[in-house]
Amino acid sequence: MSFVESEERIALRKAVADLGRKYGHEYYLKRAKANEHTDELWAEAGKLGYLGVNVPEEFGGGGGGIGDLAAVCEELAAAGCGLLQMVVSPAICATIIARFGTDEQKRRWLPGFADGTLRMAFAITEPDAGSNSHKLTTTAKRDGDGWILNGRKVFISCVDESQSVLVVGRTEDAKTGKLKPALFVVPTDAEGFTAHRIDMEMVSADWQFSLFLDDVRLPADALVGSEDAALAQLFAGLNPERIMATAYAVGTGRFALSKAVEYANTRTVWKAPIGSHQAVAHPLADAHVQLELAKLMGQKAAALYDAGDDMAAGESANMAKYAAGEAVVKAVDQAVHTHGGNGLTSEYGLGSLLAASRLTRIAPVSREMILNFIAQFSLGLPKSY
Amino acid sequence: MPNIVVLVKQVPDTYSERKLSDGDKTLDRDSADAVLDEINERAVEEALLIKEASEGEVTVLSVGPDRATEAIRKALSMGADKAIHVSDAALHGADVIQTAKVLAAAIGKVDGVDLVIAGNESTDGVAGAVPAILAELLGYPQLTHARKVTVEGSAIKVERETSDGITHLEANLPAVVSVGEKINEPRYPSFKGIMAAKKKPVETLTVADLGLSADEVGLASAWTQVLEASPKPPRQAGQKVADEGDGGVKVAEYLVSQKLI
Ligand SMILES: Cc1cc2nc3c(=O)[nH]c(=O)nc-3n(C[C@H](O)[C@H](O)[C@H](O)COP(=O)(O)OP(=O)(O)OC[C@H]3O[C@@H](n4cnc5c(N)ncnc54)[C@H](O)[C@@H]3O)c2cc1C
Repeated sequence: MSFVESEERIALRKAVADLGRKYGHEYYLKRAKANEHTDELWAEAGKLGYLGVNVPEEFGGGGGGIGDLAAVCEELAAAGCGLLQMVVSPAICATIIARFGTDEQKRRWLPGFADGTLRMAFAITEPDAGSNSHKLTTTAKRDGDGWILNGRKVFISCVDESQSVLVVGRTEDAKTGKLKPALFVVPTDAEGFTAHRIDMEMVSADWQFSLFLDDVRLPADALVGSEDAALAQLFAGLNPERIMATAYAVGTGRFALSKAVEYANTRTVWKAPIGSHQAVAHPLADAHVQLELAKLMGQKAAALYDAGDDMAAGESANMAKYAAGEAVVKAVDQAVHTHGGNGLTSEYGLGSLLAASRLTRIAPVSREMILNFIAQFSLGLPKSY
Repeated sequence: MPNIVVLVKQVPDTYSERKLSDGDKTLDRDSADAVLDEINERAVEEALLIKEASEGEVTVLSVGPDRATEAIRKALSMGADKAIHVSDAALHGADVIQTAKVLAAAIGKVDGVDLVIAGNESTDGVAGAVPAILAELLGYPQLTHARKVTVEGSAIKVERETSDGITHLEANLPAVVSVGEKINEPRYPSFKGIMAAKKKPVETLTVADLGLSADEVGLASAWTQVLEASPKPPRQAGQKVADEGDGGVKVAEYLVSQKLI
């Protein structure tokens, strides 16, 4: 067992951190507040291969693992300019297509994931099926060779920045008539596809949308892989999603904490810098401990996943996401508090993280659903719902 | 197809606090994070641009302790092809002349060198003399402080920028060029570059491998030595001006008192 990252992983972190420093939090906030995206950063990171580190080499990717992709995600967030869609496009969508797509689908989509020129959103959440994915109602019906898709999705990130959306729907089993999940790649310019931006209170350069799918006609090969593989596909894609959510949160927490430390080392109200008061120092030390623990569990989940152990990775990935969600909320809260009044000024930019830092507690699965999972599967307690 | 050697140096990160060791007043390398000197990143970038325009090969050359491999890997991950690392305890405390001798000997190990590219000065020693001494030792023309470099066949043109102004230089290859801050923006290593760097050849040489003897190099026989050093004085607290309606006047008075206006 090794608790040290490979030389290449460390070099990757440094390179990404350097790129992140070129953009930084001020750039991010300026864009977010001007109602704009951080496209240049996405494009530059993509060109350098940072967004496709996990895509197989034969399709132009880096041939690395989800652990490498998580390192990229964490370092950009730690520089104050995280790319939210990394959690989705290269992590969920590219993984599912690389593992389950047909050869033709891999050839068509993976090179775009490798250099970031293809961005794909992921849509599972529905207005009446948030935490309960058994209640999904988006349905695909056969239409000759192809499909007709109908349904609604909500909170789908980055739809306007994406060429297509990987939509989780259901199909009717020909024999039993029962509905079973199926994944479709839906172009964002398809007829019958509409997206409405949801007004959000978090300061973010990436936005969420409600989707309406009204008789969207899709060709046969819009279905990813085979009709019966959807559950396996979802499991394959959702572990990377949790690992990436962990990385995004840990990075954001590191960013807030580094700001707090800098401030606590310089701001002097009495005789010495405020960081010399344990009431200021200890909560920051505690935040550091929690972030490191979450990061370590994320690294464990990534290592298990990259070694091909999906089951074991699932438990660790859930625990990591839970821990990271709690750690980032506390780190940001403490960083704001350490800054006193400056914590809420625009100049210091930390207040803008208050709402955003709560995201990892809620999405992609809420902390309660993770605790449900742990209680039931890790501890063997009765299912409560 | 120029065969290029780029000189790179690992230096303490300028973001961290840099110190000299108490004993022999040489650089305390453990006190700070070590990085590839930024001016050398520009030198590597320039070499890569020349290579990309007309092929050729880029060899990175570094004289430094074992951990300088990190700086070498960084240069390789940016796209350089191979490296020579001269590492020897005897080099501890070497001055610019000794360092240039070692570099010249190491360059002698590379077949058919057309161009040597260096940064104009390092951020730690700041002597800015190595490229010129090296050119003398090699018998190559020196084109220092370049802000623009063009290679055409066997000729090289350089725009040299110093506080005296801009000079246009021309020479035949082989030559030594040193680059300044304005030369280019160094690239970030790509993920593929990072993965490939580990597989690229790095030849490690000692002073003896270069045909030099240990007493020609290092602190004992150095022409320069640091005798005394004092830390830079802490920054004084600034003067606060409370604005009681006359803030502007007070600021102006202060600037006048400092002879700034
Ligand atoms: C910024 C943002 C971006 C998002 N991006 C995407 C995206 O790109 N794609 C996508 O598909 N979705 C996305 N989502 C949706 C996200 O995954 C859901 O919000 C999340 O799964 C929770 O679902 P819900 O909002 O319907 O909450 P609900 O399911 O309504 O839950 C509400 C509350 O009840 C609790 N609760 C529910 N059931 C139980 C139970 N059995 N036991 C205990 N407590 C329970 C929950 O923990 C939660 O606190 C995004 C959400 C946000 C906020």
